[in-house]
Amino acid sequence: MTETVLEEKKVDKNWEPKIVAFLCNWCSYAGADLAGVSRIQYPPNIRIVRVPCSGRVNPYFIIKSLTDGWDGVVISGCHPGDCHYISGNLVARRRFAILKELLEFFGIEPGRVNFMWASAAEGERFAVLIRKATKIVKELGPNTKFQREWC
Amino acid sequence: MGIEQDNKEIISSIRENAKNLLSENQVDVVIGYSEGTVPLSSTPIIIRRVEDIEKLTWNNLCYMNLARYLAPLMPQLCDSEGKSLRIGIVAKGCVGRAINLLAVEKQVDLDKIKMIGFNCNGIVNRSKIALEIGEKEILEVNISGNEIIVKGRDWEKRFPYDQYINELCKVCQVKSPSSTEANCVGECQELETINDEFSDITEFETKSAGEKWEYFKEILQVCTLCYSCRQACPVCYCNLCFVDQNKPVWFGKTTEYQDIFTFHLVRAQHLAGRCVACGACSSVCPVGIDLNFITRKLEKIVKERYNYTSGLNAEKVPPMMDFKMEDAQEFMLEED
Amino acid sequence: MDQKILKKDQIGKFYNEFAGEYDFYAPINKKGSIVFEKIENPEDIVLDYLNSKVPPKSVLFPQEEVLFEYSLDEKDVEITDRQNLEQKILIFGVRPCDAYSFELMANFFSFHGNWEDEIYLKKKENSTIIGMGCNTPRSTCFCTSVGGNPFKKEDMDIFLTDLGDKYLVEAISDKGKEIVKKLSWLSDASKDDLKKAEDLAKKAEEMIVTKIDVDTIVKNLDTCFEHPVWDEISESCIGCGSCAYLCPTCTCFDVIDETDQYNNRGRRIRIWDTCQSCLYTMETSGHNPRNTKIQRCRNRIMHKFSYYPTNYDLLGCVGCGRCVSVCPANNDLRVILKKIQNIEKMESEKINA
Repeated sequence: MTETVLEEKKVDKNWEPKIVAFLCNWCSYAGADLAGVSRIQYPPNIRIVRVPCSGRVNPYFIIKSLTDGWDGVVISGCHPGDCHYISGNLVARRRFAILKELLEFFGIEPGRVNFMWASAAEGERFAVLIRKATKIVKELGPNTKFQREWC
Repeated sequence: MGIEQDNKEIISSIRENAKNLLSENQVDVVIGYSEGTVPLSSTPIIIRRVEDIEKLTWNNLCYMNLARYLAPLMPQLCDSEGKSLRIGIVAKGCVGRAINLLAVEKQVDLDKIKMIGFNCNGIVNRSKIALEIGEKEILEVNISGNEIIVKGRDWEKRFPYDQYINELCKVCQVKSPSSTEANCVGECQELETINDEFSDITEFETKSAGEKWEYFKEILQVCTLCYSCRQACPVCYCNLCFVDQNKPVWFGKTTEYQDIFTFHLVRAQHLAGRCVACGACSSVCPVGIDLNFITRKLEKIVKERYNYTSGLNAEKVPPMMDFKMEDAQEFMLEED
Repeated sequence: MDQKILKKDQIGKFYNEFAGEYDFYAPINKKGSIVFEKIENPEDIVLDYLNSKVPPKSVLFPQEEVLFEYSLDEKDVEITDRQNLEQKILIFGVRPCDAYSFELMANFFSFHGNWEDEIYLKKKENSTIIGMGCNTPRSTCFCTSVGGNPFKKEDMDIFLTDLGDKYLVEAISDKGKEIVKKLSWLSDASKDDLKKAEDLAKKAEEMIVTKIDVDTIVKNLDTCFEHPVWDEISESCIGCGSCAYLCPTCTCFDVIDETDQYNNRGRRIRIWDTCQSCLYTMETSGHNPRNTKIQRCRNRIMHKFSYYPTNYDLLGCVGCGRCVSVCPANNDLRVILKKIQNIEKMESEKINA
């Protein structure tokens, strides 16, 4: 399906999205590690930034990533209740909820920014979700809204 | 009863309350509005002596939110040791909301503030009028009956009052400050919750991403990034705004659309659960952008998700300073 | 004879004469605000405007200007030079106050010839200013108090007077004379037209009611740096800087390097800055010599009415009244100046009381 979508949008068939992923140190980053050591395949489109907690992810990070031209952003943290710092992810969740709605309101495709929970034991889940996020972003095509005109 | 009569009553009640506060030495200064020197404007003023009380006024052009001067507290409102004076503040509903919110966020000391409450009867939408008048000079603006009468050198135009007030004022449900007698003289009310109406926002939400993007591009492209909206906002009080941070630079400083967009998006994000719907940002915008359209969306999100309306009292914790285990998370990515 | 007549329906023809050779800037209506922009279609020109919202300084000194761009590849850095400064510019419909502001800015950008800002000066040299008399000055105008006049012609190349359905065209500078000579299709002006133009000028001058005693203000400012009047003046200011952005003589700018690290390129731009922003004087150490609103408000007045006279022997204000009408808190410059003008009177009153 993805390929037909890309064809419609007149995008090179070989185009691959670049996605920046902010992963919390305690769960999701370890989850990604587990996916790696368990040899579970997931798309190589993501570039990982390790953060201490999903609560560390300032909405600026996400907006800056988009304006800098990243095609998608993934933020992953511990499941609610599992936060290493007790409630960092719960604070973050409210922030993300608002940001997500706001981005949509401003006309940014909601699929560009994806939030997820993945624990250190869920290598499989991590891979599945990254696969899903990559597919969503790929269907949206390149992020051209913020391209500047340079001579 | 016309708006004119309303205003007269409001003015006399403001003056009387301010006079009592000053003469009984309950406050050191009163912040209020005075008559502007150019049409479609008004000047915030600090009254220190009872003799100057007559300078206080109210017309439907007092669009500034006076809580702006409380956080950060300007030096004119401090004593010689830099501590806050006791301040009386002429408070329409949204000024009251802003003060409550600032109190929750520990930016003002409610003990030092006395609100002079009254029932606000709306603020004229100056950008809309200026836009409709176009390139003719406005020399005088009067409100008579239910009409706004705008006069120029050799012309006169009348606008129906109830259509030419701010969109926010049309649906406003907090006309007098939501406060207790202890903090407020004059009109006040104790509101628990209000039921805001967001039909225009709901309608806009049904548009496609492309349409929304184009709409904002259209209305925001005239923005000159002068940051008047930030400066006029009563709840924007950061020491160093994200705009001014340069390590790292969060967004570019050009007037290309990318930068304008980022500024407005982040500004909006900061106002989640904090916007008090005063409309000051729209009113001061030199190019007349309707910024309230964005802030109202935030009010809507916060209302729907966390059932919160900002500034109704000085105790309830705003949603962005709070969290619950059972908060909705339907937006999170899940396995199929 | 240097006085000619240009009919209003000939504006299109007038435009076509210049379109190829010059970048033609004229006032247009952009979403309800009059701004000077490069036009492609003479029908976009707004002719009956009071004054533009954004001053025409934006033509020669735009809000953002690319100084140069660079790109990196392997080892080499390639620098693409800034814009073509040789392009001829024509600015149509400039009011006398704004035309005077170009001269003021040239002073700043050449600082007594000690240092030269090539970009501004080159652009100014290559620009032709076609001014237009101000038939109906706004109530906020006070150009006559600061050495201007609604029909001041000195700073322009060609001066137009709006006579209803036509313009009286007067060539002022040599550049202007040459251009008018080339436009042989312009008809000659009659004595009636000249008389009418004179009457209009007189009438316009009478319409300006604000009178400010600038000499006293300049004198008073020398001694009132620490005066409490500044507390009062800055009381209602919210520090937005709209006044500076829309001021035709404000020249401050900030130089910023932008990098596009993903594509190995970058650019250096300059953008308008304002002394009303707290970051303006912030030092790297974190110390800010102008930390309060009072100091920043003072700086704006001092700069225009004290530092400019000291440095260039000129006032830094052209009396266009833009800051008066745009200030969101209605902190009226005229009121501020009156306060400074009467500072001695105020003090003696206080002593008496």
